[in-house]
Amino acid sequence: MAARKQQIRKFTRPQILFHWVYASAWLVLVLTGMTFLWRPDPHSPAVGLGAFLQGSVGQWLRLVHRVAAVALMAAPFLWLALEPRRVLAELRELMVIRGNDIKYLLVAPLHYTFGRPPLPPQGKYNGGHKLNFWIVVLTFLGFVVSGITMWFFRGVVPAETFRLMLLIHNFCFWLGLGMGILHIYLTVFHPFTRQALSAMISGFVDLKYATAEHAEWVEQQLRSGQAEVREVPAASGGSD
Amino acid sequence: MGRAATWETWKPDPGNPNQHVAMLVDTSECIGCKACEVACKQWNLNEARINQEPGTYQSHPHLDAETWTLIRFVERTNDQGEVEWLFQKHNCMHCTEAGCVTACPTDALQYGKYGVVTLDQEKCIGCAYCEQACPFDAIHVDRNPFNPRAQKAGKCTLCYDRITMGMQPACVKTCPTDCIKFGDRDALIEWGRQRVEELKARGFKNANLYGVDQLGGLHELYVLLEPPEVYGLPANPKISTWTKLWKYAVQPLGKLAVGAGIFGLAVNWVAARRAFLQGEAAGHGAGDHAAGQP
Ligand code: HEM
Ligand code: SF4
Ligand code: SF4
Repeated sequence: MAARKQQIRKFTRPQILFHWVYASAWLVLVLTGMTFLWRPDPHSPAVGLGAFLQGSVGQWLRLVHRVAAVALMAAPFLWLALEPRRVLAELRELMVIRGNDIKYLLVAPLHYTFGRPPLPPQGKYNGGHKLNFWIVVLTFLGFVVSGITMWFFRGVVPAETFRLMLLIHNFCFWLGLGMGILHIYLTVFHPFTRQALSAMISGFVDLKYATAEHAEWVEQQLRSGQAEVREVPAASGGSD
Repeated sequence: MGRAATWETWKPDPGNPNQHVAMLVDTSECIGCKACEVACKQWNLNEARINQEPGTYQSHPHLDAETWTLIRFVERTNDQGEVEWLFQKHNCMHCTEAGCVTACPTDALQYGKYGVVTLDQEKCIGCAYCEQACPFDAIHVDRNPFNPRAQKAGKCTLCYDRITMGMQPACVKTCPTDCIKFGDRDALIEWGRQRVEELKARGFKNANLYGVDQLGGLHELYVLLEPPEVYGLPANPKISTWTKLWKYAVQPLGKLAVGAGIFGLAVNWVAARRAFLQGEAAGHGAGDHAAGQP
């Protein structure tokens, strides 16, 4: 097909690298952390996969959990080292929650199910991105504080503190897992929003899609002349 | 068979796993000789650890992964102004409501037969949740990052391997004053109550029997001369509220919420395909999208 479509750059290479290092470490942490969740009833043996994750298998998984934890904790510093100015700019963008973001969050569940009602215009990051950002940041802090305490300060802090840390780690797990599943669903499976995935692979996202989802940002980018727009054959899909 | 007539005549009855055994330590008779500690190390093939703190006759500062029973020395001045020692043979209490079993994510810790809390080191992954959940500091995992084989929980097994064969626990067998008794739990409680009365009659007005009701009933009972706190034993031990919230609230609710969420997304997927994929071209149409399409 001769038809060509326009794409606009959304993410830089270091940001993409950071995203995927963080995401892979997170996935490994979820999978290895799940080792601990197969014994719901202390009066009965472990259920499901639990029977296979005991003894030396579980010991190895615990070790992998720690290696991945180091990667997860290092990832933000990697990005910060590569483009510190941009990190700060992006953080400023992500941190601020405006009225439109709240409206977005209220409408989004309906909109992404039925296609209506319309969404309020959004900046580079919509209310959903910001929710994801805050949950990632808060669970990251929760995981790091509780994880490090359990790892290095067992026996140093009172047992009651360890027990609280375990509770915090577990709470963060469910919160983070829920957000993570939603995040993956929207970018990989959802019929409309999955178009956004290309931005985290090539850095570019379909311009029409971006205009629909991030009207304010696209407008500002075009107006200020910062926009990096390229044309690709329509058949090549979103990814590159 | 039912219950044994006296604690001494207790024999394991595989047909009746609900019969509960216990170990009772009559601390009034204990001389602090530590023969039980040695017998325990020997039978269980646990290494000797030399880590006595200066200025005490207590052999180890606390229990550890290879030290499963320990005579704790309480040195104090009594009412008559005399310096005296109180001894408490400390080890796993085999709780009916055990913090360690509640916390264990694997099949390593179980409520076993006869009321014994069993530990299967093959299954253990060394996470030390048990160590941190036990209200008695009675189970431990070594801090040894370089040797996964050493990272196993260790605690008193009540000599499960011996008692199921009709033998007494190693420490009971070896105690020179016979102050450690083993057998049918109900009968031992009976014996303990009488002993407390006897001691009270002889002037030990604080004598009491510990372990009857704590945590649903311990399978380690003590005839104590002073209130439990004097020995460093909690009068009213509990499984931590954090542990209970973690195990019985956050874990099941988390599973429920994530399950419900995945179901919701599946429903969304079906509906969204109808809403967004009707007429590919129009569906991606940005302009009308913002205006409230389709
Ligand atoms: C960021 C640094 C992290 C550190 C230092 C850390 C460390 C730990 C430690 C020490 C434990 C206790 C078990 C053990 O000793 O092996 C643990 C358990 C666990 N971790 Fe992490 N972790 C981190 C991040 C994460 C993340 C991102 C996830 C998943 C999203 C996760 C999921 C879990 C789960 C589910 C458990 C079991 C908790 C439970 O039993 O309730 N961890 N982690
Ligand atoms: S004393 Fe500690 S280790 Fe023993 S059964 Fe109770 S909670 Fe478990
Ligand atoms: S260290 Fe072993 S016995 Fe203790 S809770 Fe973990 S798996 Fe269970």
